[in-house]
Amino acid sequence: MPNVREVRTAAQANQEDVFFGQTVIVWARWSVIVAGIALVLWTSTSVSLLTQTMPFFLVLMAVNFFLHGRYVMGSPLNRVAVTVASVVDLVLITAIVVLWPGSHGLQNQFYVLYFPVVFAFALVFTRRIEVIYTVLAMLSYTAACVLTGTVPLDLGSDDKVLVMRLIVIAAMGFLGNYYFRIQRDRLLRASQGETKWASSTASRA
Amino acid sequence: MAVDSKVRQHLVSPDGKWFWDGVAEQWKPAPETTADRAVETPKVPPPPGQSARGLSSFAGSISAEDLAYGQTVLVWARWILIGTGLLLSFWAPKDLTMLQVQLAAIIALAFGNFYLHVQLLRGHPALDAVVYGASLGDICVVTALVLVQTGYASPVFIFYFAAIVGISVAFPTLMTAGYTAIVIGIYGIICLATAPPEDYPAVFTRLLMIAAVAVCGNLFARHEAQRRADAIRLHHELLDEIEQGAPSRPPIQARTQPAVPAS
Repeated sequence: MPNVREVRTAAQANQEDVFFGQTVIVWARWSVIVAGIALVLWTSTSVSLLTQTMPFFLVLMAVNFFLHGRYVMGSPLNRVAVTVASVVDLVLITAIVVLWPGSHGLQNQFYVLYFPVVFAFALVFTRRIEVIYTVLAMLSYTAACVLTGTVPLDLGSDDKVLVMRLIVIAAMGFLGNYYFRIQRDRLLRASQGETKWASSTASRA
Repeated sequence: MAVDSKVRQHLVSPDGKWFWDGVAEQWKPAPETTADRAVETPKVPPPPGQSARGLSSFAGSISAEDLAYGQTVLVWARWILIGTGLLLSFWAPKDLTMLQVQLAAIIALAFGNFYLHVQLLRGHPALDAVVYGASLGDICVVTALVLVQTGYASPVFIFYFAAIVGISVAFPTLMTAGYTAIVIGIYGIICLATAPPEDYPAVFTRLLMIAAVAVCGNLFARHEAQRRADAIRLHHELLDEIEQGAPSRPPIQARTQPAVPAS
């Protein structure tokens, strides 16, 4: 077989990661938006509450329309813009956990919004960036729980619940990025004409 | 005829929509033919010995090889579930019966996962039926833990997420949808039976996020399968180019632009 060089450069591969991965992040954000709008409509007890909270989600929806539109038109945003938008997602979810009327911090049940966002981010970016983002999400949630005074820090059942949730957030990031790296390895070998189960996969396992 | 087809394939762009007119020295729209479609979907030979237990008979573009690679994610997701479950079981246990159920379920899961992990380390991914059964076991274990901890109020439902992450990247779309529907259905019924009405928005959010994780994982897996198919096709084109010594080719960058993702 002739000696064939890799047809994609590392920079091209990174661009493609963002290109293909961006749609996953966009869909994860859609899920958060849909959940947020449904919750606002469902749980609002007064007109003022509804008119104060809904515009926030409408703005987020408009932003995601823009991002999704750019993607569909074949000109998705660059890595920095995607990262910034993902950090804004974390800010929004943390704000929901802290400020949602009726239940704050650990008692707020909308921490599950972190899961798809962290998972989608981990499917797109390299390990170092993913670790930073996942740790940021964990710190944000921990701070939201501690600052609202809903976690007593006495190693009791509330702390146990907090640790459980943090572990699952970390697991979302780890598993997503683990799969991302497996796919990079497979793509690299596919570019070199290898299509079979690789020993490198066994060693990864 | 075969030679003409090979030449045509050699001149077709990566997205299959253009061909290189060497006389006019420009790209022209390619008429869609059977040969073109064959170029778009190169056949990847399955690993030896796996054809009899592959998924290709009903799974579309997802092959048994995809399941084999996804198994590593499933195995690690299960180890996370087991490790966290053990840690939390010994952290401030309250009820003997609950602890017995938790430990029995977790240890059973650990034995099964150890078998699957050893198979992977030996380079022999487990049979499809075993992988599917193990994932169903994950769901059953989490459901059992949720039930013994009074349903909706149980915090362990979040382990459904870890299970669904592994399933979504390893299994074909239909299987992922099926497993996700099972989780949403079972957990939804448990919550509706045990949650107070004012907590229904939280139930809705949990179920929606489980579905969202499944969609994201499977969407990514499909995109990756398409990227690999493109990469293999490019590799074959490059080999043809080297063998034929064709001089008039577009710049390499023009052939490696991101392809249109799967819808």
